Amino acid sequence: MPIISLKDVSKLYGFGDATTVALDEVNLDIEAGEFVAVMGPSGSGKTTLMNIIGLLDRPTHGQYKLSNRAVEKLRPGQRAKARRDRIGFVFQSFNLLPKLNVLDNVALPLVYRGVRPVKRLKRAADLLERVGLEDRQYFMPNALSGGQIQRAAIARALVNDPQIIIADEPTGNLDSISSLVVMELLSELNKTGNTVLMVTHNPELTRYADRAVYMHDGAIVHDQKTAKGQIPQLAKKTMQLFPRRSEEDDLAGVSAMMELLPQKDGSKAKKTKSKKAKKKSRVKHKVKSTKDKDV
Amino acid sequence: MYSGNYSFALRIIRRSKWQSFFTMFGIIAGIVSVVTVISLGQGIKQQIVQQVSQLGSDLVTVRPGNVVTRDKNGDIVEVNPNYAYGFGSGSLSEDDVDAIASSDNLADFSAISLLNSGASSGDETYNSGFVLGTDVNFPSIINQEVEFGSYFTTGEQTRSVVVIGKRVAEQLFKENVPIGQSLTIRGQEFIVRGVFEEFASGILGQGIDLNSGIYAPRTQLNSVAPQSTQLVRVLVRPDQPANTDKLVKQIDTKITKLHGGQKDFAVIRQEETIQITGDILNKLTGLIAGIAAISLLVGGIGIMNIMLVSVSERTHEIGIRKAIGATNRQIRNQFMAEATMLGLIGGFWGIVLSYLVNYIIRITTELKPIILLEVIIFASVVAIIEGVIFGTIPAIKAARKNPIDALRNNA
Ligand SMILES: Nc1ncnc2c1ncn2[C@@H]1O[C@H](COP(=O)(O)OP(=O)(O)OP(=O)(O)O)[C@@H](O)[C@H]1O
Ligand SMILES: [Mg+2]
Repeated sequence: MPIISLKDVSKLYGFGDATTVALDEVNLDIEAGEFVAVMGPSGSGKTTLMNIIGLLDRPTHGQYKLSNRAVEKLRPGQRAKARRDRIGFVFQSFNLLPKLNVLDNVALPLVYRGVRPVKRLKRAADLLERVGLEDRQYFMPNALSGGQIQRAAIARALVNDPQIIIADEPTGNLDSISSLVVMELLSELNKTGNTVLMVTHNPELTRYADRAVYMHDGAIVHDQKTAKGQIPQLAKKTMQLFPRRSEEDDLAGVSAMMELLPQKDGSKAKKTKSKKAKKKSRVKHKVKSTKDKDV
Repeated sequence: MYSGNYSFALRIIRRSKWQSFFTMFGIIAGIVSVVTVISLGQGIKQQIVQQVSQLGSDLVTVRPGNVVTRDKNGDIVEVNPNYAYGFGSGSLSEDDVDAIASSDNLADFSAISLLNSGASSGDETYNSGFVLGTDVNFPSIINQEVEFGSYFTTGEQTRSVVVIGKRVAEQLFKENVPIGQSLTIRGQEFIVRGVFEEFASGILGQGIDLNSGIYAPRTQLNSVAPQSTQLVRVLVRPDQPANTDKLVKQIDTKITKLHGGQKDFAVIRQEETIQITGDILNKLTGLIAGIAAISLLVGGIGIMNIMLVSVSERTHEIGIRKAIGATNRQIRNQFMAEATMLGLIGGFWGIVLSYLVNYIIRITTELKPIILLEVIIFASVVAIIEGVIFGTIPAIKAARKNPIDALRNNA
């Protein structure tokens, strides 16, 4: 039974002519213990998908089951507790609180769980040791390097022992060495049983994943299982086309990869595209009908 | 469970000290005014209790001015504050004194006249006091000892001698025991023959410091400054405490008759002075309470304002906290803690400032305000409650923020 199960999940922003379809009837099942890399060009809905899976955002339509439990039925307090206990977030922009030192930052989720101060600081210290920051406990975040901050953020994500780690471009602001350290950490977590969802623009990083999901215009256009340590075919192709040098190159590479799709599997991509067009108009209809109801 | 909300709040408040100070200014002002007024009242009440115990509860005071309005039973229904403060003036005469002297049930009495004038001695002049014309009964009727020297005797009623209060000794003669020295009033030289013990404040009425008085024989003072003195008090003691009411009625009837039915004087029993002062205090307290309420409201709005600013400035922080699992209630509590902390700190500084104001009042006036522990506790509670009340709306606003919108707000 999948730990995460999305059925026809859509997310719309705005209304009327200005409606943006950020997610377009996405269907996705993720089994416990999977390491899923999510790729796709800018604006394709990767962050939106992560936010919905991470219970930070709600889908406009569709059903989301977390451990076979319909998420729509959760009250706000229960959603917060699910975020706290079951999901750990790692953000591209780190999102540590600048006014708290590293140790307090890592211990913060435990505060919300009601763990006593001594115990929570002990646990936070343990986790900082695990990410190799035991000598940076009392530093303020702005005194750390990007890689160190991200490791602290990973320690924070782990402090409540969550089943799912959601990392939205965790290496987006890091140099290649720091990226490697962060990826090794995520990979290690995955090995010890965590389900990891990671958005990345860097095809090379998909080697850590055992599944790669490609998004385009709010839809999943390709979903392939890969062996760990190998870069999937599709990603490889973009790498060969554009030898990686910088983040922009990655972006360009991913976009290029998307253009490659129809050539590689023309019929499938075409089908997806036409289906998507239909869906888009259907979604628009839905919006209209709800609007009519409101009036 | 300790969540660290309060220490975090403290850090936030320290970060923006000046902003926080202005926010708390309203609370501080409100607390200072409430504490000061209540402690002034407390001090005055304390004085009166002392005064009653010094003068004896059977002492009857006749004084100029229609200080009180009474009902048929003789109970006070209204206090006229215009007449109640200071000596009063004008409406008593020697005839009234004679009428009082001829009353039944009278054990003792002492008439006091006022010459609103200073004195000089050599090159020194003394203008911050007054001269009282008294008789030999004066010290015994107000139960006041002469510390150095002695009071004048019956035989000296027409001699130029004075007994002085301590402030006069200090300020005019620059010494504690200027006995045998002389001072000049209206061109007449008076020999100092005694110095009174320190007077408690408020003995003859609020706003009168008897330590700045020069006490001369009334007969002699009248001849030195004819037409210039005014009778301001006649202190009367009944033969038995049980006859106090009888005596009061007699004097009242007699003087009313002498004044052609006009109630331009007051005959007051000691315990009534508590009522009179209490009444004045209540009017004053009502006024200041209004001011205090307004400043507390302003303070509260200040808290609300800074908290709203804080909530919107820290939207991103709220987003992060929610992302890692803070519930709406926990976010609300965090901001409530901060508002409460603002109230508490405002309350603390209000109390500190109240003590300062208290000290200043003590050294610059003859009032002796007393800050009671109850008032301090009350002020602290008010400050905290204020933080809670005015922190609620901002805290709810913070708690209701949508996590993803808050997280995206990266100011
Ligand atoms: N709050 C919002 N209001 C309106 N439109 C939004 C909002 N958030 C996202 N969108 C739109 O939804 C689409 C998907 O955005 P999303 O952030 O999920 O893309 P992404 O794949 O994460 O892109 P990137 O790689 O640049 O991070 C975009 O077209 C974006 O403009
Ligand atoms: Mg994104």
